[in-house]
Amino acid sequence: MRVQQQPAFILHQRHYSETSLLLDAFTPNYGRIGLIAKGARRPRSRLQGILRPFQPLLIGWSGRGELAVLTGAETEGPDFAIDRQALYCGFYMNELLMRLLHRHDPHEALYTCYRSSLSALRADKTNEAILRVFEKHLLREIGYGLVLDHDIGDNSAIRADALYDYIPERGPVRVANPDLNTRHKGIRLRGASLLALANETLDDLTTLREAKNLMRTILTRHLGDKPLYSRRLFYATTAPTVAGIERKVNT
Amino acid sequence: MKDTNVLEALKEALRRLPGVGPKSAQRMVFHLLERDREGARQIAQALLTAVDRITHCKRCNNLSEHELCAICASPRRDPTLLCIVESPADLVSLEQSGVYNGLYFVLMGRLSPLDGIGPDEIGIPRLEALLNEGAIKEVVLATNPTAEGEATAHYISELVRGRHIRATRIAYGVPVGGELEYTDRNTLARAISGRHEA
Ligand SMILES: [Zn+2]
Repeated sequence: MRVQQQPAFILHQRHYSETSLLLDAFTPNYGRIGLIAKGARRPRSRLQGILRPFQPLLIGWSGRGELAVLTGAETEGPDFAIDRQALYCGFYMNELLMRLLHRHDPHEALYTCYRSSLSALRADKTNEAILRVFEKHLLREIGYGLVLDHDIGDNSAIRADALYDYIPERGPVRVANPDLNTRHKGIRLRGASLLALANETLDDLTTLREAKNLMRTILTRHLGDKPLYSRRLFYATTAPTVAGIERKVNT
Repeated sequence: MKDTNVLEALKEALRRLPGVGPKSAQRMVFHLLERDREGARQIAQALLTAVDRITHCKRCNNLSEHELCAICASPRRDPTLLCIVESPADLVSLEQSGVYNGLYFVLMGRLSPLDGIGPDEIGIPRLEALLNEGAIKEVVLATNPTAEGEATAHYISELVRGRHIRATRIAYGVPVGGELEYTDRNTLARAISGRHEA
């Protein structure tokens, strides 16, 4: 098999032998693929400055199976020059794709979403809304899309002013009496947050917090016990920065 | 048959060196055994001594024969300047440039979340302890301009600024003696955005 001029982003790379790289690339038509870039680490290799994460590429490869051979790569416009907070978010999205996508499953819509998410990331923000929307699309693409528009108990439309328990793998059930201990095992959140996630309009802090809580619980079920390492970058972001961002949002 | 085992073991051992494949390992083995047994002894002795004696400097983490490396121990270095590099090789390159007169901290790696390499794995707690001593006034971030290197620089810059210490990042640009026409576009973009008064 020979593929040429396929759009791609590098998700991850590691050294292979003396002068080569092993790449995981994300493409629209072939999904996540493994590639070997021969000679990419030679001092004068043209590929060295090109094969980097967050750089839109056009690549070609030949061969099938787990490892194909990269036959060409060129930039498709400038890189997204993502920096600081945006860089952490970029690594986070890459880690999710590495962990949750099987190789060779095409994901055209997700590729588009990944690309537009990257271009929307900002260096001086926590970018939470962008990450939640990306996670939503990712879950749908791998066959675990969330139910965000109706109560799975009685099929009624989600009401912004009601409270729900989101039952993983099933969906939201309205909480009849919030004071009573719930009989469902679920993630509690407001209807407004479900609707905001559905409409991709996550803008206030409560909505963002509830959406994060929901996504984190659902993703953990699919990720298993191994932690997401890129999250450690956010955690250690020192308190003054987080406070600084919240101040900016509030004013 | 015992002879060949010793030979094979030596070839295997040499192949652990970067850039040494089976062919060159065999050439080295025959060269040393046929023509330069004295050299072979010298190499063996030097390796043993180095492996026994060289550890990490307790201050900057660079490879060092003493508890405190020559740079950290030197009274001629500016103790208010700290330069962060990824590897001992990067430190050597900067030293050869001859323009930097401060101290160093060697991470022995970079943050690489997708490889499971986080702050603890690159000695961040030790770096924080060093910053807390209070002598450092500026931290120069000289990690590589890769995505991982940038993330590392940003991460450390936050720790540094949180302690009200100045954090600076090395500039990017067109190589001296290079030509714009042959410079890749990302480097050019950064060279333009990082331009300064002429
Ligand atoms: Zn030292």
